[in-house]
Amino acid sequence: MKTRSFLFLTILMVLFGAYPVFDSSVANAAQTNTLSGEIPIGAVWSLTGDAAVYGPSQKNASELAAEQINKSGMLGAAKIKLITEDDRSTKEGAITAFDKLIKEYKVVAILGPTLSNSAKAADPIAQAAKVPVLAVSNTAGGIVEMGDFIFRDSLPEMLVQPNTIKQTKNKFGYKKVAILYGNDDVFTKGGYDAFKKALDDQGIKILATETFNKKDSDFSAQLTKIKGLKPDAIIVSALAEEAASIMSQARQLGIPASVPIIGGNGFNSPKLAQLAGPAAEGAITGAAWLITNDTPGNKAFVEAYHKKYGANPDQFAAQAYAGVYILADAIKTAGSSNPVAIRDAMAKIKNLDTVLGKFSFDSRREPVHAPVVQIIKNGQFVLFK
Amino acid sequence: MFEFLSNNISTINFVLINISLGLSIYITLATGLLSLANAGFMAIGAYTVAIIQTQTHIPFSFGFVMAIALGVTLALPIGIVALGLRDIYLAIATLGFGEIVRIIALNGDKVVRLFSTNKDVIVFNGAEGITLAYKTPTIIFGLPDTTWPILIYCLVAIYILATLHNSRYGRILASIRQDETAASTLGINVARYKLFAFVLGSAIAAGAGALGAPIVRVVDPHNYVFSRGVDILAYAVLGGMTHWVGPILGATVLTSLPEALRFLKDQRDIVNGLIIMLSIIYLPAGLADPRVWTIPRKLFALLGSMRSSARNDSKGL
Repeated sequence: MKTRSFLFLTILMVLFGAYPVFDSSVANAAQTNTLSGEIPIGAVWSLTGDAAVYGPSQKNASELAAEQINKSGMLGAAKIKLITEDDRSTKEGAITAFDKLIKEYKVVAILGPTLSNSAKAADPIAQAAKVPVLAVSNTAGGIVEMGDFIFRDSLPEMLVQPNTIKQTKNKFGYKKVAILYGNDDVFTKGGYDAFKKALDDQGIKILATETFNKKDSDFSAQLTKIKGLKPDAIIVSALAEEAASIMSQARQLGIPASVPIIGGNGFNSPKLAQLAGPAAEGAITGAAWLITNDTPGNKAFVEAYHKKYGANPDQFAAQAYAGVYILADAIKTAGSSNPVAIRDAMAKIKNLDTVLGKFSFDSRREPVHAPVVQIIKNGQFVLFK
Repeated sequence: MFEFLSNNISTINFVLINISLGLSIYITLATGLLSLANAGFMAIGAYTVAIIQTQTHIPFSFGFVMAIALGVTLALPIGIVALGLRDIYLAIATLGFGEIVRIIALNGDKVVRLFSTNKDVIVFNGAEGITLAYKTPTIIFGLPDTTWPILIYCLVAIYILATLHNSRYGRILASIRQDETAASTLGINVARYKLFAFVLGSAIAAGAGALGAPIVRVVDPHNYVFSRGVDILAYAVLGGMTHWVGPILGATVLTSLPEALRFLKDQRDIVNGLIIMLSIIYLPAGLADPRVWTIPRKLFALLGSMRSSARNDSKGL
C-alpha cells in the first residue's frame, strides 16, 4: 500500500512538474499559426524640446512603416499598433514614457528614445521588465551594454568614421588635420572620440583640437588658429546649425576650398546645405544611409515618405523606418507577441533586406551594415567617390 | 490604488523632487530675493552623490549628507557676495553661478587630470555625464525603496517651511519681502536673514538634486541648464510665492499635467500651455492664492443657504 501510494504520488508530481513545460510548448506551437489581433509597440521620440529637430521625422517614418506593414499583411491577421510618446527631450520624460508604455499599454517592444542620454536613463526599465528596446538614433557608447534586451539599428560613429577617414584619405592624401568639435553635447563629443581614434589608427597627425559650445555663433578665434597651422583637412564634429556657421566662417576667413571639411553624424541634415549655402559645397560626412542608396525598397520609401509628408526623409527617418521593419520581421519569425520570443528572434536577424542595406545584428546586438560617405554637390548630398 | 501607484511611480518621484525644488526657491522668493541659483545647487548635490557612488564605496546616505554640506559651504560665500545685489541684478549673478557650475561639470575632468597622476582619469565624464547603475527597486510598504527617501525629504522640507512660516523668522522674512527699508528700521539685520534664506534654499536644492540622482541615474550637465532654473521658478510662480503650499501645488501641477495629458497626443502641449496660461491670467497670485481657498467655503455657504431656503420653502408648503 505504502509503495503504491508513493508511486502514485511520484507520477502525480512528475505530471504536475511536466505540465507547465507541456503547456508552454503547446501554446508556442499554437501561437505560430495564430498571430492575430493588435500587437502594441511603443515608440518614444523627442517631439518637443531641444531634440525636436530629429523626433518628428522619426515619428513620421515609423508611422509610415507601421501603416505599410499592416496593409501588406506581413504579419498575417495581426496588426502593429504603434503607440507614440513624446519624451520632451528630457530623461525624466523618457523614464515616464517607458513606464507608461510597459505598465499601462503592455507593449511587446519599444523603439527609441531619440537621445542617447535619455536611453541610458530609460532603457534599464525595459531591460528589467524584459521588453526589447530597439534604438534607432542612439550613436553614443554604452547603449547595448545596458543589457541583452537592448538593440540598435543606428551605426555608432565608432563604426562609421574609420570608413570616412579611410575613403577621404585615399582620395585627398591628407597627412595633417585640425579638429573642431562641440564638447558640451553627447552627440558631437562622441563623434570627436570616434574621429580621434580613427585618425590615430590611420597615422594622421592632429595639429590642433579646438572646442566650442552648443549655440555658439562666432568661431573666428578657433578658425584663425586653425588657418595659421595650415592643415590639409579640417574635421568638424558639430550639429547642423553650428556646422553651417563654421563652414561659412572658415571660407570667409580665407581657408581655401582645397582644404576639405569632414564632418560627423551631425552633418546628416538637409539643413546644413540650406544654412551654409555655397560654403557647404564639398562638405563630406560619413553616414548610415544616403537618400540615393540603391538598397531594396529605398526608392519606394523615399517616394512614399515624400508623398505622405511633403518632404524628403533624412537619415533618422530611414533608421526609424528600418527599425519598424526589423521589429516586424522579429515578430514574424518569433510567431508570437511574447517580448522574450521577439528578443530572441531579433538577436538572430542576419542579412535582412532593409532601406539601410543588408542588415544584421552582431553578438553584442550592434548593427552591421555598410556605411556610406557622402559629399555636398550643388546643395545636395551625393555619394562620395 | 496600488496599481495606480506602481503604474505612475516615476511621475510621483519626479513630482516629489520638483516639490522640494519648488520649496527651495520659495524660501528665497518669500524673502523677496529673485535667486536662480537653484539649478546650480541641484547640480552640486547630484554630482556629489554620483561621484561618491562611482568613485568610492561610501554608502548613499553619506553622499546625501555630503551633498547638503557642500551646498551649504558653497552657498555661504556666494550668498555673502551676491546678496549685496538687488532684484534683477541678483537674478543675473545667481544665473551666472548656475552656468559656472555647469561649465565646471563639463570640463571637470581637465581640472582633475591636472592634479592626478592618471592622465586619462574620468570623473565628471564631460557631456556624457555620470551613469549610475540600475537597481530594480524593492517594494517596502507599497512604495519602492527609491521613493521613500524623497517622500520623507519632501515632508521634512514642508514641515520646516511650514513651521518657519508661522514663526518669528517667517514673519521677519515676509517683512523683508514687503519693505526692506522698513524692516531694517525695526532693527532687523536684513543681510543676515537674507543670507539665512539663501543658504536654506540652496541646501534644500542640493538635497533634492542628490535624491534625484538615483532616480534619473544619468547625471550630465544638460540636466542643470538655464531652462531647469526657469522650470523651478515656474513651480513657485504658478503655485504662488507667499505661502508654502504654493510651490507644492505648482510643482505637482506642472510635473503631472503633461503626464496626465499624454492621451491628448499631439495636442498635449497646447492644452498644457492653455491651462497654465489661464491659471496665470485668472490667478495672478498663484494657485495658493487665499481667494481660491475661500471658493469651496463660499460654495458650501451658497449650498447651505439654498438648502435652508429649500427647507423653508417646504415648510411654507
